[in-house]
Amino acid sequence: MSATVSIGSAGFSRSLKKNQGIVVVIALLVLLLVFGGFVSDRFRTTNNVMNILEQSTGLALVSLGQTLTILTGGIDLSVGSMISLLSTLTSGMIGGDASMVAPVIAGILLLGLAIGLVNGLLIIWLKVHPLIVTLGTGAVLQGLVLLYSLGPAGKVPRGFTYLAYGKVLGIPIGAVVVVVLFALVGAFLTYFRLGRYIYAVGDDDAGARLMGLPRAKVILVVYGFCGFCCALTAIYLTARFGVGQPYTGLNYTLASITPVVVGGTLLTGGKGGVLGTLLGVYLISLLNNVLNFMDVSTHYQLIAQGLIVIVAVSIYVEKRRRV
Amino acid sequence: MTNITRRFAMMLAGAAGLAALAAPAFAQDSKFYSGAPRTYLYNPDTEVCFKDTSEYKKDGPYTIGFSNAGLGDSWRVVMLHSLQKAAAGHKDQIGKLIITDAGHDDAKQVADMQDLISRGVDLLIVSANTQQALDPAVQQAMAQGIPVVMMDRRVASDDFVTFVTASDAMMGRLFAQWIAEKLNGKGNVIMLAGQAGSSPSENREKPAREVFAQYPGIKVLETVYSDWSPVKGKQVMQAMIAKYGKDINAVWSAHGLQTPGSIEAFIEAGYKDGEIPPHTTADVNGPLQMAIKHKVPMLEVGYPPAMGGISIEVALQVLAGAPVPCIYTINSQIAVSEGDETQSIQTPLRLTDMVVPDGPADMLITGGMGQDYDPKTYKVDYPQ
Repeated sequence: MSATVSIGSAGFSRSLKKNQGIVVVIALLVLLLVFGGFVSDRFRTTNNVMNILEQSTGLALVSLGQTLTILTGGIDLSVGSMISLLSTLTSGMIGGDASMVAPVIAGILLLGLAIGLVNGLLIIWLKVHPLIVTLGTGAVLQGLVLLYSLGPAGKVPRGFTYLAYGKVLGIPIGAVVVVVLFALVGAFLTYFRLGRYIYAVGDDDAGARLMGLPRAKVILVVYGFCGFCCALTAIYLTARFGVGQPYTGLNYTLASITPVVVGGTLLTGGKGGVLGTLLGVYLISLLNNVLNFMDVSTHYQLIAQGLIVIVAVSIYVEKRRRV
Repeated sequence: MTNITRRFAMMLAGAAGLAALAAPAFAQDSKFYSGAPRTYLYNPDTEVCFKDTSEYKKDGPYTIGFSNAGLGDSWRVVMLHSLQKAAAGHKDQIGKLIITDAGHDDAKQVADMQDLISRGVDLLIVSANTQQALDPAVQQAMAQGIPVVMMDRRVASDDFVTFVTASDAMMGRLFAQWIAEKLNGKGNVIMLAGQAGSSPSENREKPAREVFAQYPGIKVLETVYSDWSPVKGKQVMQAMIAKYGKDINAVWSAHGLQTPGSIEAFIEAGYKDGEIPPHTTADVNGPLQMAIKHKVPMLEVGYPPAMGGISIEVALQVLAGAPVPCIYTINSQIAVSEGDETQSIQTPLRLTDMVVPDGPADMLITGGMGQDYDPKTYKVDYPQ
């Protein structure tokens, strides 16, 4: 229960001590940054740094929710379908009408939350591992979105793309939202009782039950929040692409797990945190950017990502054995 | 220059460019069409849209970025080779050609385009993975002053300099018109489309449906998606044959990549030579070989991958500040199986004129890459 990791300014040095995985990720980030500088002069431009931040937004939002489910020892494999559904509904219901933007965004956020809560309820009632439950709901959601539309649905007003491409003081809006959200969730995990219970459930589910911790509440909050994060990702992607499509979220199911494990959160739950995930997201975006600058083909980019996951996980497993 | 004379000069210069590009790989044989693009000549409008590119005029050598949606089928491989070959032929003007491959992922392609702009390209050639999802990214590039030349797959808005393509609409219409006339206005059609949501597929399906709708006796049983793959094409057609059997009177296929899969599905379902319903195809050697062998009535209207190379020529015109047509349509050959001409489809070309009888089935016959071209081993030294 004591294994807390946080992102708050006070907790930053503490989190470094508690989770040495983060040190590895930071080292890799610095290494890539230095290396990228050698590859091209243009790599170091502000423009390119903002690019990387902007490109990391979608992955960051969905990985935030995924971090919490994994911290409880669970996982959410429905995120990809959820994003596809919510994104398609966003552009489909807005239908190019500017006056619909606000109500649809509100509705989509609520719907994301609701779908997440359904995932949570099923996990609690059925007492089946979240992997199976969310695999099932994911398939259901994918079916629903295809019933709604076989291709791109509706459209958004031109100004809507500002959410993805707009900048505040030269920094992409999405990147700012990501940092603020991660800080809030990090603080929640450290300073709120319910936040600490998330670690407790993941650390020792049976123990948490015996101690009378509100396990059901934790599960509901975590999966509900994960659904909410999927809604944010869906809205962001709709802005980035100008339309929602039934397969928009496809890659995000597995992609959302990568930064979580790279950032040092154990798949078995109870250990890790959101700071590691955020750094993991930046690492992956930076890696793709550097490989692009090096003219490395897409196929090698996939291989590099895969190897990083394997290496990261093996490092953390090793650590755990020593403990 | 006044507005009108300026526009006239632009049209003349552009038309001269079009005629020059009509110079064909097939010129040696009089059966092959080697004139200016039909879609340009037969266009009923008195003025064709040309775009002034003087604001993009720059001194070379240029850095050109090509953001490719992905490879994964033989058409796109030949298209890429054609583009590289053209760049190699312009080493004096092109300092660097940077190619990215998005692996058919919208998110990756948006990121690729941003990275290319970060790397300081003077012009972007973009073959968009999907019509809508790349639209905002193309708009962003144009807003930053980077001219975008779309190739093969455009975005939904007109926010680009020009679009290099063959006429999807003409292909779709000719395919449908031929089927309608071949069936004497009565029968059931399966539409074997490409990839759901991709513009070449949509832009062929829509005009085809319009043609079919004019014939009350023609019924489109179902539209199925092959993702441009013969394997997937075969799977979906097996399902269609199981469902409708002999009720299928013709297969409207959006391209030749998936046509062999469909014909194989009919053969495996026990259809004998001469019993397989009429098919349409484009560019690929295999379907022509199969049609000749199994006596399948077939219409071929090409969608030439040579447009990869032409997009480089057009890019250089843009960077030289020369006017370009708003839509740059390159020419297609039209060939039909012996005895299967109809009222509307009159052409001296037969499948036997197009086919390379002993060539590989997956070879593209409309790439303009020369006789000894082999996509598996092709390498060209383009400026990188």
